[in-house]
Amino acid sequence: MSGLLLRALRAALPVPATLPAVRRLRTAAPRPAFAKELFLGTLRKEEVFPYPEVSNEELEEINQFVGPVEKFFSEEVDSKKIDQDAKIPPETLNGLKDLGLFGMQIPEEYGGLGLSNTMYARLGEIISLDGSIAVTLAAHQAIGLKGILIAGTDEQKAKYLPRLASGEHIAAFCLTEPGSGSDAASIQTRATLSEDGKYFLLNGSKVWISNGGLANIFTVFARTEVVDKDGQLKDKITAFIVERDFGGVTHGKPEDKLGIRGSNTCEVHFENTKVPIENVIGEVGGGFKVAMNILNSGRFSMGSASAGMIKKLIEMTAEYACTRKQFNKRLSEFGLIQEKFCFMAVKAYVMESMAYLTAGMMDRPGFPDCSVEAAMVKVFSSEGAWACVSEALQILGGLGYMKDYPYERYLRDARILLIFEGTNEILRLYIALTGMQYAGKILTDKIKEIKKGNVGVALGEFLSKLRDTMGRKVDYGLVGDHGVVHPSLQESGQKLEENIYYFGTTVRGLLSRFGKTIVDEQLVLKRVADIVINLYAMTAAISRASRSISIGLRNHDHEVLLTNIFCTEAYFKNNYAIAQLQKYADENLDDCIKKAAKQVLEKRAYICSHPLDRTF
Amino acid sequence: MRLHWARVLPRGLWGGWGAPQVARSLCQRSSRPAGDPAGQAGGDASGDAAGEAVGAPAWRGSSRGVQDEDRGPAAFAAALAALEQAPGRRVGRLELVAAALAAMPVLGVAREREAYHRLLRLLPRGPWVPRGPFQRLLAPFPQQQECGLQILEQMERYGVVPDAETRFLLLGIFGPRSRPVRKCQRLLYWLPRLRHVDPHPLPPHLPPPGLAAARLGLHRIANDPDARITVYQHPVPDEGDNEGSVQPYIIGAQSPDQQSLLARHGPARPVFVEGPFPLWLRRTRLCYYVLRGDPLPPHLREDPPDPERSLYYPLHLDLDLERGPWDDDDFDVEEVEEGPVFALCMAGAGDRRTLGKWIAGLQEANPVLGSTPVVFRLGDGHPPAGAPGGPPAVPPPPAVLEPPDLPRGPGHSGGADAAGPGSGAGQ
Repeated sequence: MSGLLLRALRAALPVPATLPAVRRLRTAAPRPAFAKELFLGTLRKEEVFPYPEVSNEELEEINQFVGPVEKFFSEEVDSKKIDQDAKIPPETLNGLKDLGLFGMQIPEEYGGLGLSNTMYARLGEIISLDGSIAVTLAAHQAIGLKGILIAGTDEQKAKYLPRLASGEHIAAFCLTEPGSGSDAASIQTRATLSEDGKYFLLNGSKVWISNGGLANIFTVFARTEVVDKDGQLKDKITAFIVERDFGGVTHGKPEDKLGIRGSNTCEVHFENTKVPIENVIGEVGGGFKVAMNILNSGRFSMGSASAGMIKKLIEMTAEYACTRKQFNKRLSEFGLIQEKFCFMAVKAYVMESMAYLTAGMMDRPGFPDCSVEAAMVKVFSSEGAWACVSEALQILGGLGYMKDYPYERYLRDARILLIFEGTNEILRLYIALTGMQYAGKILTDKIKEIKKGNVGVALGEFLSKLRDTMGRKVDYGLVGDHGVVHPSLQESGQKLEENIYYFGTTVRGLLSRFGKTIVDEQLVLKRVADIVINLYAMTAAISRASRSISIGLRNHDHEVLLTNIFCTEAYFKNNYAIAQLQKYADENLDDCIKKAAKQVLEKRAYICSHPLDRTF
Repeated sequence: MRLHWARVLPRGLWGGWGAPQVARSLCQRSSRPAGDPAGQAGGDASGDAAGEAVGAPAWRGSSRGVQDEDRGPAAFAAALAALEQAPGRRVGRLELVAAALAAMPVLGVAREREAYHRLLRLLPRGPWVPRGPFQRLLAPFPQQQECGLQILEQMERYGVVPDAETRFLLLGIFGPRSRPVRKCQRLLYWLPRLRHVDPHPLPPHLPPPGLAAARLGLHRIANDPDARITVYQHPVPDEGDNEGSVQPYIIGAQSPDQQSLLARHGPARPVFVEGPFPLWLRRTRLCYYVLRGDPLPPHLREDPPDPERSLYYPLHLDLDLERGPWDDDDFDVEEVEEGPVFALCMAGAGDRRTLGKWIAGLQEANPVLGSTPVVFRLGDGHPPAGAPGGPPAVPPPPAVLEPPDLPRGPGHSGGADAAGPGSGAGQ
């Protein structure tokens, strides 16, 4: 409601027409997001406490969607057959189209469902029960048509979105090329402007395009020649909407994959495809920004999707563990099996909390920049999903390895989560570097003062260090009398506060140690990213559990338990990582790791002698 | 000669079983440096004669076969077998062993452990073992032990690791805790440890100077797995001692990185062919030539950072903070600016004509070279190379020279000789 009110207010604001050159007062400026502030050691608790709620009407609306979709997935989707045939049968696709799942985030005026991010995440939970369908839908709407949705003109939207929403047309996102994964500089596909200036001629080929064989609409990124500010001709990337009917679009045969076998992945070739100039997304030469925005906005839903999958897995494996007997005891009575269930429950709980917290933040009015949070959700949930599926398989023992059961398919399907939409390694760099950039901008002056030898600042720093060693009480107002966290989560809250504080000092230390050369310190950045992901996960879990207790949700004591387990573990991991970050490269093994890798890579082989070799 | 009198003493007086230990050892020592073949001494002439008669001809025969290395081991084995069967007193064995040691490398058996064992079997078991602790204290049988040590030293020099049998033989000859046995133990300790100490080992048998050796040498310099080694011109005739006498070989190495460096260098600046520079493969001297350029001005060396490059994460941080001195763990090295090396080559001849063919061959993979001026700066292989009016050419060192004869072409004796754009190919 408040969002609507704000939007209405903003629309009602009088525009100072007399002073067109003066910047307008904006009520909804892009807010500094929560995660970036963590790098400064500050906790913006108003962003994450209380846990975002949806209104009752919205909830009812979601539940209306959830019922039929759940029914469809449990009754009409035969995942095993999809996996075996490596194809989603047309009747299943039609069923998905009838449910409107091809236009979940397309506004209602263009015939979509117009779901908010939260509702999209909720449906993603169910859709993820079949990996192939989830990937097909995600490639269609999370990246395939996202370009039109966020950067397209009204004409483009009106022309393409209705048919995309109905599923009559399927979209695909064509960025990757044989020689280019994350490096935009090596994109070879070229679009040349025709002499009359009315259309572009597109030439090149793209690989590993999800939905490449099914799609009618492609978002294609290609190089174009652009005259830049200095009047020089430069190659820049431009995004195009390409219809298959434009001609010259061919695709290779579907790739045979490890998992998500039902989704269609193939090469797409463009040969002298005529693309009208109206089909440029954004502006000519502005394709890089479009691509980045699409990629950044598409990730958050993986959290709820993975959580949905794990919840299903917990059900299936718990059934098995409670019935199978060994040594006259049920499997569920063995401590090592219990540990695995706890592990899965904690992971599912935390990734669910993160996903819905992020979705809630994105649904707020204004232009919340949640790309870092979304990346954190993606990294955490994909790794959690992989670990959980593996543990589930372990509980089942040999049975899980058999193709007669669905578990091995889950394992194969889950493996892609770590790879696509930006590999986890790259996203870790993104998370850490974005935060470092943000913190660096703010801390530069202070660090410079210290480096210059300003006694006052240095003394202040020294005193604060001294207080840290004496045992500082960190208080961000999470716990205590006026705290936002429920008292039963007090210890977790304190741990979170302490971690955030020391993370802030560590980041400051790293910035003063490495400066801008920190981009080359990938091992350091990985630790930084791991810490901040843990911090965000702790925050989300604490926030959600607090809300659950406060409003008295069913089984909230279980939530408190899971939260406390996770926070305690994450606290120790964070402390260890922070301690490692405070050491120099020769003390925390970084040097040794790099050296060992270098020796291996120099010979491009495992270079140790065989244990049976001898010299005498 | 000095102690010749010792030899004329009756046997019972100086080496017999009845003589006291100390006296015996002294006598043995004094008899050793006599140096000349034992047969001239009075002692037991018949035994010596037999040793000479059997050993020497076989020995000489094998030493004549120096050219034929294949026959070396067999000849060595035959000679020693004959010696072992020779009856009678074993006099002059020390000299024999010394001579055999000297001949082993020529016969090609210097790396065979069995050959050393056979030498050790020539030495008598028992008589040189000191008896009792006192004799052991008084450095017994020094000449004999020295002989054992020489065998072991030669093993060490050729990296032959002793084994249990060596030790067993030494124990039998010199007794426990004698100097050769200790040396053997030290060898057993060190040689296996040092066997793989060379990170870039050469094959045990090097090919003779020529195309095969050049390929090996290029592999050694261009130690980049991506580097491609191309034979631009095959030698005629392509084997034998006079390999390449009609047409010299040309072989070059270039990696993809070097190709992109050359492309970046551009046609505007000249590139230089320099050389010859020496490269030693054990005792073989090879010469190589490099194609290099002057360093590019800094602004051309790397592309300016492109903010629109990485789709996923920033490649550069926009911060005004440098790296602190605490984390700068590189050594403070004063770097001398050197131009990039674009390609390497070895050729059977070092004249401009031959090297021009190399440049022409390189143009196939590097089209930019066709429009780049190529300057030949060929020296005589001895620094400083090729300054006009520089020091006169010194005769090359006594080694196997590669290329065999350095031609005195126009580009050779010094002057930097500029060829026009693309003319390198035509020469």
